[in-house]
Amino acid sequence: MSKLPTDNDLITRLSNGDKQALYAIYDRYAPALHGVILRMCRNQVLAEDLLQESFVKIWQNADRYDEKKGRFYTWAYRIAKNTTLNTLRKPLPLIQNDDLSVHNSKEEAETTVDHTELNGALKKLEAHHQRAIELVYFRGYTHREAHEEMGVPLGTFKSYVRQALKLLRESYGSDLMITWSILQILA
Amino acid sequence: MMDKKRIHEEGLLEKYLLDELSENDRMFVERAMAEDIELKKQFGQLEADFEKMAFENAIEPDSRVKTSLQHRLDAPRQIRNYRTPLMVAAGLALLFMLTTFLLYNRWQEAQERLNLLQTQTNSLQERLVVLEENYQTTNERLQLINAPSTVPFLLKGQVLDQDARAVAYVNHQNKLVVVNPKGLPQLPEDQTYQMWGDVDGEMISMGLLPTDKDLVMLKYIDKAESLNITIEPAGGNDHPTVEKLVSYVTM
Repeated sequence: MSKLPTDNDLITRLSNGDKQALYAIYDRYAPALHGVILRMCRNQVLAEDLLQESFVKIWQNADRYDEKKGRFYTWAYRIAKNTTLNTLRKPLPLIQNDDLSVHNSKEEAETTVDHTELNGALKKLEAHHQRAIELVYFRGYTHREAHEEMGVPLGTFKSYVRQALKLLRESYGSDLMITWSILQILA
Repeated sequence: MMDKKRIHEEGLLEKYLLDELSENDRMFVERAMAEDIELKKQFGQLEADFEKMAFENAIEPDSRVKTSLQHRLDAPRQIRNYRTPLMVAAGLALLFMLTTFLLYNRWQEAQERLNLLQTQTNSLQERLVVLEENYQTTNERLQLINAPSTVPFLLKGQVLDQDARAVAYVNHQNKLVVVNPKGLPQLPEDQTYQMWGDVDGEMISMGLLPTDKDLVMLKYIDKAESLNITIEPAGGNDHPTVEKLVSYVTM
């Protein structure tokens, strides 16, 4: 049984222009990035286009990734987020119906929202903590936009984010402890 | 220490991760992390937590996205396939240019020919006008000669040259005189024949008689008793040189 290549191996190969490395990286990270993009744009077709576009940018800019500045996924997340936001900020094209009335693709997009419900440790948090993380991470809001969206002062919103992150840390830490304990018992 | 405090208070690590910072703040955070291992470690933990959260919320994309990505990244090969149509297009463009050049040259040639033809037509028209005028004059003279009221007079060489001949057609009704001087001998360039009408002993000039013309229209002199031809200096004379009388006829 062959050993799976590590992220570092794949990223090095990617920087050297190895397309197969990109496809392997796609297999690993595309679902996570797709989850972010789909929650941001809330349109299945558009999300797939943006996911593809993000990976094309990852391919074209692979040599600019600097591992000293952070994890690969963080770098890829920023590319996906900015690609999506730039597309969403463009004016939506108007589409003419048979009855000569027009609608824009956003209206249609709003109706296609589906499985964007949050999962995992985030789901266990209180609603306001969940909402704060959702806005800044999964919806692409800045802190300033997000506090207005939630209708709370900026300072309060920052506290929500900090508390949510602390709770997530605790959750993931305890998960790790449980896993470690199970492994110890099984041993 | 102050940097770390600011980073925590303002939540700059989270904003850095989310790519929300300005260029200055981004560089500030990167510098701080490069100098502070603890801060770097905290950021690494934050990244790991966010990544884990993202994986918990992952949504598997349709397989067509990867297929489409693979096709797109292989597109450069397809670009090479465009060379043939591009070459064809370039060839057609070249052909079009050559054809245009050829047609332009033909057009220029045609234009030049047209200009030449126009010039020739103008020249022919001018000649036609002259010929018409000549025909008109000749016709008038012929009508004059053939008119019943016209009287022909033969002027024979009597003094200087016995062979000299000239015919004068005089129409008293229309008061016209036409002379055929072809029978007169050629003169040097500094001399010319001149015709005179004798009225009561006075010779009045009727005009010059160039020998290179078939018919010469002269001035009709009323009550002229005779017609006389003399040799005079080129350009004619006011009074006849009687010593050089060639011929005369009484009317």
